[in-house]
Formats: sequence, structure tokens, C-alpha cells
Amino acid sequence: MNRTNRMKKSYLAIILLFSILCGCQTEKKVSEKQEYLRWVGDIEQNDQIDDLSFEVCNGDDKILQYFKLGEGPVYNGEKSKVLNTFKSNYKPISDKKENGLIRIRFIVNSKGKAGRFRVLQSGYDYQEKQFNQKIVSQLLNITKGIENWEVFYRNEVPVDYYMYLIFKIKNGQLTEILP
Amino acid sequence: MEIKGHYQFSKEYQTVLDESIEIDSTFDYAYCAKSIAYLKSGDFVTWKKLIDKAVEYNPKEHLGYRGWCRYQFFRDYKGAIRDIEKLDSLVDYDIGQSQNGIYHLNIAKGLCYKAIGEKEKAIAILEKQIKLNEEEDFVGANDYLHLGVLYLETEKFKKAVETFKKQSENNEIAENQFYLALSYISLDKPVESKFCLEKAKELYIGGRKMYDPYSNPMDKIYLENIENEIKTAYNNGYK
Repeated sequence: MNRTNRMKKSYLAIILLFSILCGCQTEKKVSEKQEYLRWVGDIEQNDQIDDLSFEVCNGDDKILQYFKLGEGPVYNGEKSKVLNTFKSNYKPISDKKENGLIRIRFIVNSKGKAGRFRVLQSGYDYQEKQFNQKIVSQLLNITKGIENWEVFYRNEVPVDYYMYLIFKIKNGQLTEILP
Repeated sequence: MEIKGHYQFSKEYQTVLDESIEIDSTFDYAYCAKSIAYLKSGDFVTWKKLIDKAVEYNPKEHLGYRGWCRYQFFRDYKGAIRDIEKLDSLVDYDIGQSQNGIYHLNIAKGLCYKAIGEKEKAIAILEKQIKLNEEEDFVGANDYLHLGVLYLETEKFKKAVETFKKQSENNEIAENQFYLALSYISLDKPVESKFCLEKAKELYIGGRKMYDPYSNPMDKIYLENIENEIKTAYNNGYK
């Protein structure tokens, strides 16, 4: 009898602990949701992970979005060059479980250099997931290795802008690159 | 405070919409409006959560839009087909145009079928919708081009040529001349093909090419594609 009670108590303690943990997480998410930065998707400098030599030329509050510059998604040397870069450098990890979307978002500064890379991953059901790290790190490294991005101008002044690449992965193979 | 005058990405815009959702958690418009910035920044996870809420509370209003966005931003062909077909099953009126006004949603659906390999089905859908568009004198800017490419890919070369000629009358772009050139090669008409490739290059450099502010449209080509074909033509002795 005592043993059963002790077990019951242990279960209760575990359930209680679990609820507290879940509660904290939910609360955190809600509060995060309400604390917006200047714009949705803004990327703040994080000295722990970002290249300290990368500079935003006109200040964080003046970083634009690529599609606000009237040219659409433009790549230095056209998109075919980017496609070829990934085609020749990405080594597929053959695995039927590796399916979904990987977005790498970053800032292109007024000199056409990229920095502050951030990764978002989901399955084709749009639920966040983690891909095999070998897939993600390859895509990230190839993206970081692209030396020149298109320089955009507004009123003849070169600007900083947010850009992203979305990679569609099927069975570990890279099937499409967007936008 | 209201959203008018605030940028879709801004803190103010998002906050006002959050407040409206606090008042009415079934306010579909607010979820949809909030989702746009996430869509355009490529955050497919947050976008999907928000747009799903909008669809949940008002499917007839948002299914077509969600389907179109799945295609335009994420090339989620199967998801786009599901949404557009679901909308079609719910309403007895015309399901209308894509958000950017370039395509009838049925044309977008047809392009998605093409992308998943069902080319004959895609052809049937495009032929049917283009016929309706012609009756309304409202053919989309790229409709004939896409249909022509489908004919080309299924080796219906003469039909492809006829369709590209219609595209020329409707909206002449580099892609049209490029694919027309490929059709002529298959019909063993190298002189015509070479002429079209030169024209394609001229149009491309002049900015007469497929364009979308957010993504690269299906069947879009690059200067490299045209130049490679020109090189091949020269190598084959068609000067």
C-alpha cells in the first residue's frame, strides 16, 4: 500500500514538474510574441555567432526588404549562378526522413556582402523540425561562401537589405531554391 | 490606433492586429493581415500558423489566397492544389484571380499539376481556363506562354508554335521567343529558331521578361540560357 502511495506521489510530482515546465514555455512564447522588433524578421547582431567584421552600412533601422527595391529577387550574376553554386557544392545526404524547407535569411550590406545568417527549418507540413546537421551546415556554408550579392540603390545611394534563400529538400536531395 | 498608414512589417501594425484578435479571436482578417509580413520574409512556420487561423474562420475568403501563396512563395504544389480545389468545392461562383492578378487560380492550379508531373492534366486545365478567359477577353499576361511550354514539353511542337504566336500578340517577352526557338529546333527549322533566339536576347536585355517582385516565376529563363542556345546554334553551323 505504502509503495503504491509512494509511486502515486512520484507520478504526481512528475506531472506537476512537467506542467510547470510547459507553463513556463507557453508563457515565454506568448510574451515573445508581443515583443516585436522594428519589423517582422529583423535580425539583431549576436556577437556569439555573427561575424564581427560584417557591418551594416546605414544602420539597422534603415535595412530594407529585397522586394521593396523594385527589381524582384535579383542575384549577382543572375539566379542561374546561385543554382550552379549549390548544384556543384552541395553533397546530398540520402535519407528518406530528410524532407521539408530550410530558409537561410541574412542581410546584404551596401557593399554586396552578406552577414547575420539565420536558419529556419520545417517539414512540408510547415511544422518546425531539425534537419540532419550535415544538410544545414552545408547549405549555410555554401551561402556564406557566396562573396558578392547584388548591390541595390535607392535614390542613387547603396542600401542594406534583407534577403533569404529557401531550399526545398526531398530525401536529403536539394530539389529547388527559392525565391 | 488603426493599421492604416503602418507598414505591414512594423511593430505598430502587428500590435494593433493583436489587440483586435484579443477582442475577437475569430477575426479572420486580422490573422490574414498579420501573416503577410511573415510570408514575405520567408517565415513559412509563423505564416502558416496565422493564415491557417484565417482559413479556419473564413475558408471561402482565404483558401484561394493561401493556395496561391503556397505556390508563389514556397512552391508547395500539392498544398496549393488542395486549397484551390477545396475552394472550388465550397463556392458556386468563379474562384477568381491570384493575389497579384496575373493568373486565374485555375491556371495556377494547372501549373502546380505540371510541377508534380501531371502534364496532360495541366494542359487540359489551362486549355479550358484560357478558352473561358478568351470569351471574357481577359487572358492572363503569361497564359499562352505556359500552355505553349507544356505543348513543347509534351512534344506537340506545332501546337506550341501556334500558342507562342498568340502570346506574341498578347504580351511579347523574352521567354516566349526562347521557347518558340526551341520548338522550331524540334521542327527542324534552324533559321527561324536562330532569329527567335536573337529576338529573345534583345527582349531580355531590354527588360521584357517574366517578372515577379517576390519570386522567380515558373518557365522564367536567364540570359545564360539564351546565350547557351545561341552558342549551340552557331556550333551546329546555323549562322
